[in-house]
Amino acid sequence: MDAGLLAQFVANGLMLGMMYALVAVGFTLFFGVLDVIKFSHGDVLTVGTFAGFSTFLGLKAIGVANPWVQVAAVMLIACGAMAILGALIARYLVMPLKGAPALNVLLLTLMLGTVLRESVRLFFPDGANPKPFPKLLPTDALALGSFTLRLDSAILFVAGLAVIVAIHLLINRTKLGLAIRAVAQDEETAKTMGINFTLIVLATFALGSGVAAFAGIMNGLYYNEINFGMGLLLGVIGFSAAIIGGLGNIYGAILGGFLFAALQTLSVVALPFASAYKDVFAFAVVIVLMTIWPTGLIAEKTSERV
Amino acid sequence: MVPESSSLSPSESLWPAFAAIAGATLFAIVFMWAETEAYVLGAIAAAAACAWAARRFGVSARAARIFATREKVLDWGAIAGTLVLLAAFHEEHFPLLMTATVLLYLVACLGLNIQFGYAGVLNFAAAAFFGVGGYTAAVLIRHTGIPHPIVLLIGGAMAALIGLVLVLPVLRTRGHYAAVITIAFAILFRTFLEVNDALGGPQGLKLPGLQVFGWNFNRNFEIAGIGLSFYVNYVLLALALAAVAFALTRRLERSWIGLTLDAVRLDETAAACFGVHLARWKALSFTLGNFMAGVAGAVYALMLGFIAPSNFTFGDSLIMVSIVLLGGIGNPWGVVLASAIVVVLPEKLQLIQEYRFILYATMVILVLLFRPEGLLPRRLRVYFPGWNPK
Amino acid sequence: MTAPLLKLSGFTRTFGGLVALDHLDLELTEGEILGLIGPNGSGKTTTFNVLTGIYAASEGRAEFQGQDITNLSAQGVCERGVARTFQRSRLCLSLSIFDNIMIGKHVRLDRGLVFNLFRRRAFAAEFEAAFAEARDLVRLFDPPLAGRMFESIGAFPMIDRRRIEICRALINRPKLLLLDEPSAGMTEDETRQLMDDILTVKMRLAGLSIVVIEHEMGIIERITNRCAVLNFGRKIAEGTYREVAADRQVQEAYLGVE
Repeated sequence: MDAGLLAQFVANGLMLGMMYALVAVGFTLFFGVLDVIKFSHGDVLTVGTFAGFSTFLGLKAIGVANPWVQVAAVMLIACGAMAILGALIARYLVMPLKGAPALNVLLLTLMLGTVLRESVRLFFPDGANPKPFPKLLPTDALALGSFTLRLDSAILFVAGLAVIVAIHLLINRTKLGLAIRAVAQDEETAKTMGINFTLIVLATFALGSGVAAFAGIMNGLYYNEINFGMGLLLGVIGFSAAIIGGLGNIYGAILGGFLFAALQTLSVVALPFASAYKDVFAFAVVIVLMTIWPTGLIAEKTSERV
Repeated sequence: MVPESSSLSPSESLWPAFAAIAGATLFAIVFMWAETEAYVLGAIAAAAACAWAARRFGVSARAARIFATREKVLDWGAIAGTLVLLAAFHEEHFPLLMTATVLLYLVACLGLNIQFGYAGVLNFAAAAFFGVGGYTAAVLIRHTGIPHPIVLLIGGAMAALIGLVLVLPVLRTRGHYAAVITIAFAILFRTFLEVNDALGGPQGLKLPGLQVFGWNFNRNFEIAGIGLSFYVNYVLLALALAAVAFALTRRLERSWIGLTLDAVRLDETAAACFGVHLARWKALSFTLGNFMAGVAGAVYALMLGFIAPSNFTFGDSLIMVSIVLLGGIGNPWGVVLASAIVVVLPEKLQLIQEYRFILYATMVILVLLFRPEGLLPRRLRVYFPGWNPK
Repeated sequence: MTAPLLKLSGFTRTFGGLVALDHLDLELTEGEILGLIGPNGSGKTTTFNVLTGIYAASEGRAEFQGQDITNLSAQGVCERGVARTFQRSRLCLSLSIFDNIMIGKHVRLDRGLVFNLFRRRAFAAEFEAAFAEARDLVRLFDPPLAGRMFESIGAFPMIDRRRIEICRALINRPKLLLLDEPSAGMTEDETRQLMDDILTVKMRLAGLSIVVIEHEMGIIERITNRCAVLNFGRKIAEGTYREVAADRQVQEAYLGVE
């Protein structure tokens, strides 16, 4: 295989890994503060992407044609709206079940994901069919031999990196981050130290959901197509990435995201004849990796007391 | 329950129980017969009024007491009711198809109930295992001459086998997050079917009807001059399967195995300290449940005469989970009730057909928030109904 | 002298950098009641958890009846005849009293698929026998409770739950019973009652040995033959209650004097 094509695969893999990582970070944040698995996360991403798409349609309708303004507005509204949605879900659906078995939270959020997914399918105009997502970023290409680096991909990747760095700084350098870490460490102690537990949980869910919307828009801008099932796929893989990285560990989640993307890309490179089975391989990878490391590469914190 | 049984005198009349069964049967017939949505809604309203009246005048409480102590009344009553339904629609394909579908879903969901309701092993790919049974049957019948009853069993065995491979990671972890494995499998299965040409791709496969000892299940027939739909065959087969599955589920629950599975679900650490080998019991329940789903799926494929990926989506798996949750986790009668409601309602109310996934998902959310024990809550284990300590 | 029933030597467990249990040596003779005491976090429950196979030992060795049981699985330890209760009661609250007790009898019940599903007559016989045994055991603790075997345990007060938890541990006729803070969450009266129960049961079941973790010194004084004091995972004293209570190190550990 020639180097250009290989570079293309690497570029694709990195992009995919970035999206998985951003989704996985959400799962891991939620698990950190509340010890719950929120399965509707992927579908929040879908809703966010469609919210962004609607924003674009709205802007076009009122005559705003500057792509930079469009991109900024799409990102802002999608992430903002999903941050609010994430906080609402946490407040009214997840937190009320705090004393209930963990299983109930899992089931509830799984069903909530179905509600969100189906809402997009049924209530978005022609939502059952894929939608073309506009190319809002400059598509100039930089040719390096047979490998072409598109400017929009580069911008997206750098933006993704920036988000990850921002999360890192937020968690490690701000008061909010300190509070999130405190709650994740030990809820009771955090409360006695005067941390507003509810507020921190809501902030964490808002943060994770906003980041998911970002990943969704990124997905739309990169593939130029969105559909109501995109979040389910990204959610399952993102969740598995979070597990492989050790639930509760942000850097593990990011690592897990890139690991999944690498394996998925490798399978496509190694078995080019089976490109129709791309998604089958993606999920087979999920099953195989989970079988090998069911509790993650990086050991998670154990919270059970006997 | 024991205290209830002592309050029931042997001479107490059984009429409330019979009335309840007759009422339910009548409702089922009217409901299936109703052609327009106005009639359907009217039937539901009338049934609700009757149920209210029965509760108001203590009939339902008395019926419940009888059912609790004399289970056979309810068991045979339910079978008789189904047969009456069969007789009422003996010539009409659609109501019979629906009845058989409910019964086959019941078998699959009883299997899911063993996994999830008793052992606490999550399975979000029940529809996929149902589909494994169906596709196995389709392939075997198209390419081999294996007798059909054996094909049905192989369908179940295949589902159980695939389940055994999948359960491996589930056994290696303590948390519930191994659930993602079954979700991944549910999505993988559907995607695989769609791209695999050997299995017919999105169009699926056609298959001939079931043949048992030379009797062709797909031919309309006559008894004493009365014409019968060929679906009568399938309803009877599905009823027999459902009865066996139900009896086995209930016996399982009323045995040391049922108790052990409860212990595994409720407290793994304590169970392990009393010698329970967790992995063994989880694997057993998972295998048993998938076998039931596989057999049901094989019959379903033969009954429809074709099989396609769109019947076995992740959404369908979630509907099966919804049936178990809505009915009341761990209560086989709850599964019966919820199977009937969940399968038939969207067929009769075309209005909600398109919205069924969102509707049931919303219902489950409400149930989890406000009535986690479901419509018919599971009761304490009674090893032998009517037994009292000496 | 006969060999000890239980012998721990150099028993150690670390969690990351934290040494929860530090080279514990402990012996228990058959028929003895040993108290395990010490401040919170001194490694008492960890001792039970490592011993019963919930956690693996980081170092050291456990012998039970002369056999090595170090790092046996929880199931393996159970099969050797060790049973326990938990600090935070771990009954299945949605099950009946009888069901909860039967979980303790798991290894002696016939778990065969054919037996349970198809040989219902044989099952009924085993069920009747098991019921009689469980009822008789509960009767030792509290006769009225024995008449309510098929009621949900969730509806009973703490003392009854503790009793049932001890019954669950005893139904399998263990040689060694580990009681993890049986008085937790109970009033003084209830605690006294429960201790009487334990002594009664101990008398009836000859040869039973007990290790009990307790914070209530009154209990320790009343029911134990001997006790061992732990602090920061290490054994700091051992002897009769009077001896250890007089120990300066023990007093310091409890009062926090440096």
